[in-house]
Amino acid sequence: MLVLSLAGGGLITGCSPQSILSTHSPQAHNIALLWWWMLGAAVIVFAGAVVLLVVAYFRRGVAGLPFVGEREGIAQSMVLVFGIAVPAVALVILFSVSDIYLIRQTAPPAPNSTRMTVEVIGHQWWWEVRYPGSAAVTANEIHIPARTRVNVVATTADVIHSFWVPGLNRKIDMVPGRRNRVLLYASSPGVYRGQCSQFCGLQHAHMSMYVVAQRPAAYRAWLAANAAPASAPASAAQRAGQAQFLADQCSSCHMIRGTAAAGLIGPDLTHVASRMTLASAEIPNRPAWLAAWIRNPQAIKPGDRMPDLGLSARQVSSLVAYLDSLR
Amino acid sequence: MSATATTGARPHLDRLGRVWEERPGLLGWLTTTDHKRIGILYFFTALAFFAAGGVEALLIRTQLIGPNGHVLSPAAYDEVFTMHGITMIFLFVIPMTTGAFGNYLIPLMIGARDMAFPRMNALSYWIYVASGIFMYVALVQGHAPNAGWFDYVPLASKQFSPGNNIDFYGYGLIFNGISSTAASINFIVTIFKLRAPGMSLNRMPLFCFAFLAVAFALLFALPSLSIAAVFLELDRQLGFHFYDAAHGGDPLLWQNLFWIFGHPEVYIIILPAFGIATSIIPAFAHRKMVFFPLVALAELLVAFLGFGVWLHHMFTVGYATLTTVYFAAASLIIVIPSAIQLFAWITTILTGTPVFKTPMLFIIGFIVYFIIGGLSGITLAAIPFDQQVHDSYYVIAHFHFVIFGAAVFPILGGMYFWFPKLTGRMYHEGVGKLSFWLTFLGTLITFFPMHIVGILGMPRRNYTYPPGLGWTLLNFIETLGSYLLTAGLVLIVLNLLISRFRGPEAGDDPFDGDTLEWSLSSPPPPYNFAVIPTISSPYPMWDKEDREADRQRLERGEGLLDAGHLTPATTAQDAVADEILSMPAYSIWPLASAVTLAGVFSMLLMGHFFIALGFIVLGVLAVFAWHHREVAAG
Amino acid sequence: MSASASGAAEPGRPPGMSGRPPAERSPGAAPVVAGGRLSQPTGWWGMVLFLCAEGTLFGSLMATYFYLDFIAHRWPPKGIAPPGVVLPLIATAGLITTSLPLLLAVRASRLGRRRRVLGLISLAVLIQLGYVAGQVLLFRHDLRQFQPNGSAYGSIYFTLLGAHHAHVVLGILLELGVLGHVLRRGLRNYWLIGVRSVALYWHVVNALAILVVLTQLSPSL
Ligand code: HEA
Ligand code: HEA
Ligand code: HEC
Ligand code: CUA
Ligand SMILES: [Cu+2]
Repeated sequence: MLVLSLAGGGLITGCSPQSILSTHSPQAHNIALLWWWMLGAAVIVFAGAVVLLVVAYFRRGVAGLPFVGEREGIAQSMVLVFGIAVPAVALVILFSVSDIYLIRQTAPPAPNSTRMTVEVIGHQWWWEVRYPGSAAVTANEIHIPARTRVNVVATTADVIHSFWVPGLNRKIDMVPGRRNRVLLYASSPGVYRGQCSQFCGLQHAHMSMYVVAQRPAAYRAWLAANAAPASAPASAAQRAGQAQFLADQCSSCHMIRGTAAAGLIGPDLTHVASRMTLASAEIPNRPAWLAAWIRNPQAIKPGDRMPDLGLSARQVSSLVAYLDSLR
Repeated sequence: MSATATTGARPHLDRLGRVWEERPGLLGWLTTTDHKRIGILYFFTALAFFAAGGVEALLIRTQLIGPNGHVLSPAAYDEVFTMHGITMIFLFVIPMTTGAFGNYLIPLMIGARDMAFPRMNALSYWIYVASGIFMYVALVQGHAPNAGWFDYVPLASKQFSPGNNIDFYGYGLIFNGISSTAASINFIVTIFKLRAPGMSLNRMPLFCFAFLAVAFALLFALPSLSIAAVFLELDRQLGFHFYDAAHGGDPLLWQNLFWIFGHPEVYIIILPAFGIATSIIPAFAHRKMVFFPLVALAELLVAFLGFGVWLHHMFTVGYATLTTVYFAAASLIIVIPSAIQLFAWITTILTGTPVFKTPMLFIIGFIVYFIIGGLSGITLAAIPFDQQVHDSYYVIAHFHFVIFGAAVFPILGGMYFWFPKLTGRMYHEGVGKLSFWLTFLGTLITFFPMHIVGILGMPRRNYTYPPGLGWTLLNFIETLGSYLLTAGLVLIVLNLLISRFRGPEAGDDPFDGDTLEWSLSSPPPPYNFAVIPTISSPYPMWDKEDREADRQRLERGEGLLDAGHLTPATTAQDAVADEILSMPAYSIWPLASAVTLAGVFSMLLMGHFFIALGFIVLGVLAVFAWHHREVAAG
Repeated sequence: MSASASGAAEPGRPPGMSGRPPAERSPGAAPVVAGGRLSQPTGWWGMVLFLCAEGTLFGSLMATYFYLDFIAHRWPPKGIAPPGVVLPLIATAGLITTSLPLLLAVRASRLGRRRRVLGLISLAVLIQLGYVAGQVLLFRHDLRQFQPNGSAYGSIYFTLLGAHHAHVVLGILLELGVLGHVLRRGLRNYWLIGVRSVALYWHVVNALAILVVLTQLSPSL
């Protein structure tokens, strides 16, 4: 058991992208620290109890304990010490550390205490990201400046989702009728994986996203670029693709700023080509995958809100040509 | 008593046997009001549902054996894990503990001849069966509930779940709740009023204290669930707005109502296990429980405090910090009564003369896993940590250790422990030990890695997961573990099944048990006790002179109460002999009433409200007929 | 009686059970049995516990009412007038008077006065039927004002009242059941307990009625 938990510890630290122990912010770091301390204490308590059982086993068939025997008084005081005194102390310590001290760090940031705010809206099954004070809108990819306290406002467009980026901070549920907030802070530039952790229907398993922490300058550049309307199609293929997009149902669900496409059901595609992934981090953003997605999204995310539109190979390739140009 | 039955006693016993005889054959089982036969019915039904829930679990595990598994479609997976949760909680553990163990053993332990309301007891059983079938019809049709066992709205609302999957859940739980409510009333009255004269509360076995606590917890927890389900169906069927934020409702109302039931529920699941432990440990440690009064108090406290912690399931919904902190404190305080009991068990074993036969091994397993699961529970009460691992596999690990490790192990141990009493035969010790080790290791290998995979960020209720996140190997191990675990469980069933026919004679009291059921023949006679036993301590079987006194009274044919279905009732606290009740005989009406109720809910589900009304009328008539027979019998 | 007395003298050593004749086998003697009891009978306990569950049920309903009230910025919502106070209060007052005849009915039943029992219970039934009729009218009137599927307020308002009315109807059914049996088979111990349990049921339902009406009228009080 002890071995197992240590082995577990070893495995954990061999860090994995979504581990709560490969931390990149003071919040996550302190929670991880709390965990290691709790694990240590738990192992001790567990070991203690097991030792008692082992002793009992080796004295099987023998009455009572050495010296002590079956004396009721001794036995009772053992219950009082291990059953009340020790736990009481341990619990008071745990409570003060975690639920009085540490909880302040994970509590939502005080209003206006942060320089910037990002709105993340959960959808079945993707994340919409808006930047108040800027026209920028994106999906499944949250760009923030590193070493800056960011106030994330988490809401939902349909059912309950839960916004969780383990490497940076606690999770927060997105509940209809509530504007929940959580602090996002990345101590160094990097890409951190997050995933929806409240069951939200068929594709709950495929509702991931990335937080991209950038140097402030890079971030500002990204924001400006993303706020701009879509670039006009250059080649013939792209023009065909745009026509196709506007003609077909695409535009009824997707918005491409700067064109007539103003749908609100699906992600904003104005700068779709600039993203790392598609369909909430389910597939890489490469022309081949984009084509596969457009041809039959249901094959990639069964039950997804984007229907299979039965497009011909030609239509698809032109659409890809166009969308892939939207950097 | 057959062991001690001498020529002098024979005629009395024969007469009692005739008085308490039930109908033969199948009809006998359909009309029975004998708590022992009802207990056996409960047992096999619950075991079947355990198998079903287990098969669903194996489907889950097989789907997750590697990344991008394709055993189940996303839709099927959602139905499977939801039904797994519902089945195990509502159709397996609770019926198995209260229904099977409680029903069979409590009257035997308190020296009664039946439950206080024998026909209501039968009714509870038939309603339970009907509700189980009701929910499994859904699975067969492919419309099984699919929003998880706590079924959060708005995902469960008509808008996002248009099918009737969720209606099976809503109606099914209301239906099932009726059964549990009736059962808990029955238990409380039985324990309060039917204890043998002299068994004052401080002489009542701890087993009964545990079940008393469970019954009270059920009684006060279930209404909250039923109301929540009623609101849900009103929202879905008639367009009410209880949970609809857009019209002044609130999705969190559901979460509060559900967990106000849901947390007491989890202690309802564990307390019978405590009870079973407290009756197995003294028998194998050859020693009375350490600190009896404190343990009894702790059992009641756990049930009571369990009502004040529900919000710890909602630490991430965005409530004010202060609110959550209060519930974290409450969750930690609950640890104390659990710890008291834990160390009472350990010290009892330690300072006693323990022998580690199969039932005892399962109790050891239970203790070990209760510690692991309990400690992980403590970590979850640390809010910041919970806000990280909430709805991740860490939680799955926590509650499978406390549920499977801590709640189910004593059930398995109890199956071995009381098997000789039910069948008169002995299980195979060697195979028993083997089955324990398989189950023990299987549980560890299945559920321990879930802590780690949860900490590595794997959310629960994912029908699949991508490679490259460090989850693959651990999930593979878990799945293998679950197969090992299954082998162990099947071995238990086989061991008991074969021993039932091949096992050696066990005798009346193979383990030198401490409670009254061991004073009876194996299996016990329909009337349980020929003479109402003498009680002067919570360990009546170890008071040899009392048992001798009983034997002599039987010889003299004194206090037999053989003029009809008679059993004494006593005062609630001191168990002073008060009056003599004549118990109703077998009856078909409980079954009939349950059937009409099933009709009501099926019709509601199909939306035929007027036919449902018709069934309600039928139900009223059935209840009337039931009492008609009563008076005639009286 | 003597038997159980000696039992009281030295608990743990049960008296020879032969002491008293079992209740059910002495039909007319129900009062005797009732008189001889040291503690409440099982039937009474059953009803008490059932009522505990019922109380919790209404507890959750009323909690829900105030929960929704608490999170709403306007309660009742725009377009719905606060409930009228007078009629519901009068109706409730009428209903709770029925506790009195039932109280007396229990007294009478313990003395074995079968006629009086029948009369008093019937009286209670009449008043309660009147109450139900009145409530149906009020209900229809409310439904013309606003719908249960119009707002969360409507939902909880009508659900709470509906649940209460359902319990009143159930109570009347129970009374009729007892009446029928006492009429046909006389005051035997079993139905003596029946009378007591039904009376108890009504005392609780009446108490709940007060809470329900206060909840229902809280916006106007
Ligand atoms: C048998 C059922 C059972 C039991 C007994 C428990 C026991 C406990 N549980 Fe658990 N719990 C569940 C079943 C159970 N739980 C289920 C089913 C869920 C999830 C539901 C769902 O989401 O689907 C859950 C979820 C759950 C959560 C929510 C997690 C989340 O969703 O984010 C929390 C949070 O506080 C919690 C806490 C606790 C605590 C503090 C105990 C305590 O009572 C534990 C007390 C016991 C011990 C502590 C061990 C023995 C004592 C000692 C070893 C003494 C030494 C101790 C010290 C020195 C400190 N449980
Ligand atoms: C009492 C409760 C209980 C029990 C015993 C179990 C037992 C098991 N559970 Fe689970 N489980 C839950 C309650 C329980 N579970 C709940 C409440 C959830 C949450 C659901 C939700 O999220 O909504 C859950 C969720 C859950 C998940 C997470 C699903 C997800 O979130 O995606 C997993 C994954 O591995 C799992 C696995 C298992 C396994 C392998 C077992 C094994 O221990 C099962 C082993 C049993 C058998 C294999 C049966 C063997 C058969 C017999 C012995 C009978 C033979 C007799 C005859 C043939 C008549 N369970
Ligand atoms: C009925 C609504 C609907 C229609 C019509 C529709 N989509 Fe979508 N689309 C969606 C939704 C919803 C998503 C988000 C899917 C997810 O991630 O779960 C999406 C996602 C996408 C994405 C991935 C965006 C990202 O950043 O992840 C692309 C690209 C896309 N759609 C292109 C198209 C094209 C091209 C068409 C027309 C041929 C189209 N869509 C038609 C609803 C629609
Ligand atoms: Cu969104 Cu799970
Ligand atoms: Cu809980």
